Amino acid sequence: MESVNEIKEQLSARSRTATLDELASEGRRRVRLIRAEHVAQMVREAVNVAVEGSGLLEPAQVEALVAKSRHEFQAALREREHELEGARRKEAELQETERELADLKARFVEMTQKLATARSELQQAHDELDAAREAQPPQQATVSADQLTPLVQELAELKASMANQQGASAPGAQGTVDFEAAINKLAGSLNERLDTFGKKMGVSAAVGGDNPVDLGGMFREEIDKDLESNMQNIQPKQKAAGGIAGNLAKLKKLKGGG
Amino acid sequence: MTEQDDIDPNTPQQTETIVGLGKGLDVGTANLAAAVQNDEGGLTVNVERNAFLDIPSDVYSKNMLSKLKVPYVVNNGKLVVIGEAAFELANVFGRETRRPMADGLVSPNEQDALPMMKMIIQKILGEPQQAGENCYFSVPAESLDVDNNVVYHQGLFESLINKLGYEAHAINEAHAVVFSELAENDFTGIGLSFGGGMANACIAYKSIPCLSFSVARGGDWIDKNVANVLGVPCSKATAIKERGIDIRDPKNREEEAVAIYYRSLINYVLENIKSRFESGQNMPSFSEPIDIACAGGTSMVGGFIEVFREEFAKIDFPIPIGRIFRSEEALTAVAKGCLVAAAIGDE
Repeated sequence: MESVNEIKEQLSARSRTATLDELASEGRRRVRLIRAEHVAQMVREAVNVAVEGSGLLEPAQVEALVAKSRHEFQAALREREHELEGARRKEAELQETERELADLKARFVEMTQKLATARSELQQAHDELDAAREAQPPQQATVSADQLTPLVQELAELKASMANQQGASAPGAQGTVDFEAAINKLAGSLNERLDTFGKKMGVSAAVGGDNPVDLGGMFREEIDKDLESNMQNIQPKQKAAGGIAGNLAKLKKLKGGG
Repeated sequence: MTEQDDIDPNTPQQTETIVGLGKGLDVGTANLAAAVQNDEGGLTVNVERNAFLDIPSDVYSKNMLSKLKVPYVVNNGKLVVIGEAAFELANVFGRETRRPMADGLVSPNEQDALPMMKMIIQKILGEPQQAGENCYFSVPAESLDVDNNVVYHQGLFESLINKLGYEAHAINEAHAVVFSELAENDFTGIGLSFGGGMANACIAYKSIPCLSFSVARGGDWIDKNVANVLGVPCSKATAIKERGIDIRDPKNREEEAVAIYYRSLINYVLENIKSRFESGQNMPSFSEPIDIACAGGTSMVGGFIEVFREEFAKIDFPIPIGRIFRSEEALTAVAKGCLVAAAIGDE
């Protein structure tokens, strides 16, 4: 195709353009026409004939040379097309990455603003807490009316219940048993409530309660394990200490027993 | 350091003539101590370190330990050296002892140490003089600075002591200090127990505990920090601390480290007590200044009470305080207080 264009250019350069009137004025009534492609074909054939005629290349070699040139041209063309496609793909990826970066920047700005707001709210909460602490008077170790009311109510209910039971049943042993049960129930309830109050007020009973937690079952295997040992033949280290008679006497006096 | 008089365990009149009923047991992170009355009106306190060391089990080692009168137990095929000997061996070999308790409570990582603890307790308590004899044992109060489970610890030792034939009762260890040291004040004042895992405080009025709490720092905290800064095992740090130093006059870098952390511990405990008292929750009021009695193995270091007074003077304590003193029997004061509670409980 390139050879056709070149031939067209050469033909243009080496020919002149004339209108039909100019040709008629020159006495030319008919002209012969030939297409540039035909001229190129003629030139190509002439070159081939010349090359073959020169004896430099065999016709088969000429064909092979032409085929090889065509093949190299096609390969080079495919390679360029492939490079172009890769470049277009990278350009698309770059554009996608730029979009994501822009999104992240926007989210960073948004999160920064939210963090600043949260910090501000936290500081405000701290300030309010400090102010509330300063304003609050020290708590007194007293039982409030709200706490006492349910107890008083429960006491009244128990009394009424006891009166009803005593009225309904015959006087005697059964009445005494009911009375004791009611008293025990009341005492238990009061103890539980007082224990709850004590815990709420930060008082912990140093001596254990009447209902210790029995965890013996959890560790029966470890505790009951018989181990080989020489401890029966060894005495532990002993230290002398002052007596406790004085301490016991003081305690008895405090308890009103001495 | 005030050392209590050691008794030759082989002297028969001191081991065979127990008369009073009731026994006191100090279940400490570092030491287990049992107090019993003797016929002379005095006390005998059996003490064993609450620590173990595993060594390879073979016939030769067993024979050698028996000849040296080193207590051991064979547990799960391992030879376990018990008590003070474990501590000494650990220092010789540069190893760490196993500790069945941490921060004042039974350690969840040492469940398999329970049979050994039972054997030690059985050894130091002896057999009950009669079935169901009272045994008061010490427990820590709930901590201000950590979340701990005293109920589990208390229930475990109640079961263990009941299993030995006693009737077990728990008592706060600082309350035991009040029973032991504040008789002259009608058991009114502040008892402080500086133990291995914790420092416990109890403010009492006429023997009744008004307020009890603890902080989870004690001698082990000092050992751990000294070991860290000196790059030695904790057992070695303990040995440095217990070799008779005076924290007012440290002689070298090691003693300097111990003194620094002792002062820090005392300051931490005082600040927490002050903070708790200032919180205003159920605070008793006293018309007269009250005394502070300090006890516990960690308070036995030289210069402790002087440093305590120095640090106390730096803070504005919310309660008027009279005397500040350390028990003359600091290591056994808690066991003694438990015994007082046990004896009065039997009368």
